[in-house]
Amino acid sequence: MSHKAASFFGHSFRKASGRTAYQVLLLLAGLPLHLFTYFSYIRNGRDRQYTSMLNSVQSGLADRGQKEKWLEEYKDQLERKQKFFRENVSPADIHREAEKLADEKLSAESKRISEMRLEQTGQKKETYFSYFQSLLQKPAFLVVSFIPGFFMYVLLFLMSNPFILYIAERLVQSVGVIIGVAVLVFTILYISPFDPATNILGESATQEQISNFNRLHGLDLSYWQQLWNALKGIATFDLGSSFAGNEDVAASISNKFPVTLTIALFSVIMAIVIAIPVGILSATRPNSFLDYSFMFIALIGLSIPNFWQGLIFILGFSIHLNWLPATYSPGHALSLIMPVVVLGTALTASIARMMRSSLLEIINEDYIITARAKGLSYAQTLWRHAIGNAMIPVVTVIGLLFGGMLGGAAVTEKVFNIRGIGSYIVDKQFIPDIPAIMGGVVYIAITISLVNLLIDILYALLDPRIRSKIDHS
Amino acid sequence: MRQVKSMKDTIWKRHSLAVSTEYTQANFTWVLSLVLTVIFLWNSISFKTGDVHPVVFGLFCVWAVTTVFQVCITRKMKKDLLQTGVIQPGTRHLGYVQLVGLLAGNIFAGAFAFNLVNAKKSVEYTFAVYTLLTQLAVLAISSVNLFKPYVSDTFLPSMGTLLLIGLFYLVVLILIVLHVHEYEAPRWMTWVALLLLATAVSGNLFALLLGWSLLMKTRSSDHSRMLKWNVTWEKITRNSTAMLGMFFILLMLAISITSRFTFDYALAVENNYSAILQPPSAAYPFGTDNFGRDVFSRIVFGARISLLVGLAATIVPGVIGGFLGAIAGYYSNHVDNWIMRLLDILYSIPGILLAIAIIAAFGANTVNLIIALSVGAIPTYARTMRANVLMVSNYDFVDSAKALGESDFAILFKQVVPNSLAPMIVKSTLTIGGAVIATSSLSYLGLGVEPHIPEWGNILKVGSSYLETNSYLAIFPGLAIILLVLSFNFLGDGLRDALDPKLD
Repeated sequence: MSHKAASFFGHSFRKASGRTAYQVLLLLAGLPLHLFTYFSYIRNGRDRQYTSMLNSVQSGLADRGQKEKWLEEYKDQLERKQKFFRENVSPADIHREAEKLADEKLSAESKRISEMRLEQTGQKKETYFSYFQSLLQKPAFLVVSFIPGFFMYVLLFLMSNPFILYIAERLVQSVGVIIGVAVLVFTILYISPFDPATNILGESATQEQISNFNRLHGLDLSYWQQLWNALKGIATFDLGSSFAGNEDVAASISNKFPVTLTIALFSVIMAIVIAIPVGILSATRPNSFLDYSFMFIALIGLSIPNFWQGLIFILGFSIHLNWLPATYSPGHALSLIMPVVVLGTALTASIARMMRSSLLEIINEDYIITARAKGLSYAQTLWRHAIGNAMIPVVTVIGLLFGGMLGGAAVTEKVFNIRGIGSYIVDKQFIPDIPAIMGGVVYIAITISLVNLLIDILYALLDPRIRSKIDHS
Repeated sequence: MRQVKSMKDTIWKRHSLAVSTEYTQANFTWVLSLVLTVIFLWNSISFKTGDVHPVVFGLFCVWAVTTVFQVCITRKMKKDLLQTGVIQPGTRHLGYVQLVGLLAGNIFAGAFAFNLVNAKKSVEYTFAVYTLLTQLAVLAISSVNLFKPYVSDTFLPSMGTLLLIGLFYLVVLILIVLHVHEYEAPRWMTWVALLLLATAVSGNLFALLLGWSLLMKTRSSDHSRMLKWNVTWEKITRNSTAMLGMFFILLMLAISITSRFTFDYALAVENNYSAILQPPSAAYPFGTDNFGRDVFSRIVFGARISLLVGLAATIVPGVIGGFLGAIAGYYSNHVDNWIMRLLDILYSIPGILLAIAIIAAFGANTVNLIIALSVGAIPTYARTMRANVLMVSNYDFVDSAKALGESDFAILFKQVVPNSLAPMIVKSTLTIGGAVIATSSLSYLGLGVEPHIPEWGNILKVGSSYLETNSYLAIFPGLAIILLVLSFNFLGDGLRDALDPKLD
């Protein structure tokens, strides 16, 4: 049992120590243990043997005049090269270059020979990591070190599973991106030439009023302090109060976010329900009248600006026909229809085009022909082998476009007078209200990152190709 | 035996019907004509009062005639193709009749008719046709000013010049039909080509393409280069939607240059309180807005801004992103990782939101708008370029450049980057449309171009407050945006089909 565990951890350790970031993590996680083992590694000093071997080999090589031989060889090569390319290089330069190359060769060669000799006598060149790994193979060491190195063992256990490792890597990546987004947006707003204080208090404000305002909102602090406060605020959902109106920014955002998210979610659902069948119909009848018409309509859908479509809808369905309300009111389901359709049009068009091209590509793959040759009917190959695979890039695109949709919601919200996060940011930008804009943009970016993270993880679980790639990495 | 032969024959004829690009274009043309005819009919009758609008109804009648004639030609083509496998000369001559449709403004029928009458089309022929069509359209749009109470001082001389240039294009078209073949052109055509290049200053870029193509054929003996040029352009010119898109984009470009001389800027920006909120008429084709400004002139002048911002917001991130992507794709993993992770940050903020944040920080004007839209688009281009550089740098010619001792930097920018430009061109054409939409959206929100400049988003913003009473104020600028964006998307799709090596 403990043998198995020892070889398990040893294996995991070997895999992990291939990358610098993981080495650092492992060293940090098992710091007390590593202090102790490093001490014993120095004491043991088997490495000194290698150094002395290396020295003797090197001097041996130098004694035999090997270096001079290499030097001559390199000189000859360099001169030929110079002749061939008709370059003008002075002999001194050539000599220097050859000397450098010969030195490199000498050190590389002596390293190789001494390592070979050590291996012949059954010893290996030892680094701290290989020393530690050999310790890990011993069950006794495992038992003794389990308590001080507990965190390291947990880490090793997690690292042994490629899925957990992949998910953890993606998580760290997303957190990095989110921090980056926050820093970027804050910096853009920080270097703005506008002064919120004069914008809000008016031109006639006294110096004292302005400095009071700046102190209240922490605008008198240094860049790094303000940045730290902003990052802390985003992490703890406490962004302070907005410059104008003195309302709690986090609370207003959390009030407005669900509205935008609801509309966006309905739009995605509408897009999927319409676009996937359209894409399949087009791809199964390529270059037919139906295909051309669908793709033409899709291209028009891609080319319509959201706000114009919204205006035309209001003109047609609210003013002329009087079927739907022109503005959105919460809880009124009918008033949701137009914003959802407007926001989802471009997405529907993109998904339909994507689905068509993706399915067309797959239908012409060899394995589909094989399936047909084996006697499956067209419908069977289509539904069992083609559509599932064609959906893979489509889902990625949906994830990516979802982000663009949340961003573009600002325009739609303005047209239909929806109090969502997008119109909130637009309303606040004239001052500019730094905490409000920053909170809005960063929380949208976080939502998008989370959606994409979720899609990536789902892929890792569902797509056999990605699964095998993770397993083999 | 005979039966087998006749069956083969039938299959061949059916095949010739399926592959005939002219037949596809014929179908495309009558469907589009029909759609527009129905739109004219719809707008000619007022449903509330039952009145008939005479001008629009007249337009409908003429378009209906061209559409019916187009359907007849299409059916005759089908019959020809099924019976003999080729389009008969008699059918082709019908194209001359259909050319009359140009008088009614049916540009689809006109383009199709030019395509039909000539059986052996060189690339130059297509270019010459579209050069002429563009010039005619510019003249037609500019001559709307004749109905205005007054015109600008430069109107008459510039219209005369445009007319002369148009006649010259007609002569060139005839010369090309008579003298230019697929791979050769007579030596004296060089002078025609140079003249064409000179006239391209008026904004008609088809003339530039035609001149360049002619110059290549008269001067160069490099057969492979001509073949490449011919094959690429034949793929694009065969695609009628791509050509339609290109036509509209280049028309907008020509209009935005010639409007400087043929349109009066004062009509577009100066208030005229005697003509407030006029409905569409001959003097004001798209009506006037709440300050009495002519919406037609405003839209014509707005094309300039939309094209400028759209192009700038594509070229700037294309160059920056392309450079970063090339370096990331060519150099070591470390550089690649750093650049791409940093760009991931930009990539995770939706473009419009980032633009709003940047404009919030630095204020709303055209330059800031271009910068704001550019920054958000950098990662997309970097990713496209990186993927291509990764692919191209594995090719043999890169290895041979390395063996010849070229430096990494020189290999990257002399060998690798020029060979990975095609997907970048396709990508940028497809994203210009997005940039145009973003520009007008931000202007609509009050975050884009300054409100006094006639820009399509600004015109729409005014129109949106008169939606109930004067809806045309919001409809026409929107249509202009859609047409321009649609054209870029059509052209982008066509370029992708022509340049994408995957399809070969």
